Amino acid sequence: MTEKAKSLFQIFKNGLWKENPVMVLVIGMCPTLAVTNTGANGFAMGIATAFVLISSEIVISIIKNLIPSNVRIPSFILIIATFVTFTDYFVRAFFPTIAESLSIFIPLIVVNCLILGRQEAFASKNPTHKAIADAVGMSVGFTWVLTLLGIIREFFGMGSIFGLQLLGEWYRPMVIMLLPGGAFLTLGLMVGIYKHLSREG
Amino acid sequence: MEKNSNLSLILTLVTIGLVSAFILSFVYLWTTPYIEANQAEVRRRAINEVLPGAEEIEEIDIDGEIFYEAYDQDNRQIGVATQHSGAGYNGMIDIMVGVNLDDSKVLNISIVNHEETPGLGARITEEGFRSHFQEKPFGDYQAVSTEPTDPMEVEIIAGATISSEAVIKIVENAVEKINTVYGGR
Repeated sequence: MTEKAKSLFQIFKNGLWKENPVMVLVIGMCPTLAVTNTGANGFAMGIATAFVLISSEIVISIIKNLIPSNVRIPSFILIIATFVTFTDYFVRAFFPTIAESLSIFIPLIVVNCLILGRQEAFASKNPTHKAIADAVGMSVGFTWVLTLLGIIREFFGMGSIFGLQLLGEWYRPMVIMLLPGGAFLTLGLMVGIYKHLSREG
Repeated sequence: MEKNSNLSLILTLVTIGLVSAFILSFVYLWTTPYIEANQAEVRRRAINEVLPGAEEIEEIDIDGEIFYEAYDQDNRQIGVATQHSGAGYNGMIDIMVGVNLDDSKVLNISIVNHEETPGLGARITEEGFRSHFQEKPFGDYQAVSTEPTDPMEVEIIAGATISSEAVIKIVENAVEKINTVYGGR
């Protein structure tokens, strides 16, 4: 039992650092670069993606043996699209301000290759409990990177963190940080620091 | 049945599609009233903001355009508002504009919807920028980057020239729209 729990924890931990979807696998770049101009946006995008990833990995790992391999990908996309549409309606109904700031990027979760990639690489080959561990790990890994990216860009671009103004009038915001260019710069530096930290020996 | 036979491929996709559609139609039924209520609430708040002091607001449809007429407690018309859209920097901007027809001046504006860059163009929603339009006479406005000296000049947001100018354009068009309908009265 402990052996089993340990292997599940290993799978979970994978997504956090060693195989982080953004830093190492470099998948799901579209939302990573597009919506992270504030910490709150990055976090909300992470949570929305997490919901879709976890639900679809569960469903796909359960029905994986019923799906013929020839129509594997279209089936995955249909299942993912169902959860994305659900998320879209749900957020627009109950969190209208978040829906407004993420706008088009919620429907675009369908084509986030992090989601399809994990179905293909993991959920379609592993039992459900492992798929859940993988989905949760990848989700947390994705969310923390997006949130940190958003915090850094918001801090330099607006002088605030999660909407709380930290720097006073004297600070001249670095406008570039809020524009797409700032996302590339920040992500590049973050991946560089990550590589430096995780270098072995 | 052969697992990769055509029939089984078709059946698989049809089944998944049907189940998805079935689930989503319930989600749609469940969330639509909330989504509509949210949109109505945003519009109601915008109308109240651009027509201050209104006791009663009447919605009227003139040639397919919706106008909101505001009346005070003595049933005198104190203003008219309409929503107008135009292209911004990233997408469409919807603005509610309220005017006072008695002295031909803009009462206030409210941004109902926009997709401008947070921290830059999105600052068009801030009171500081919107208040530049209060008490503006009707006509064509001039975008300036310094303190306005002429009543027709509007100070734009630094770093958000396109968004600011888009708002000016939309307000001009909205005022004109109201003027063509109500101008002759």
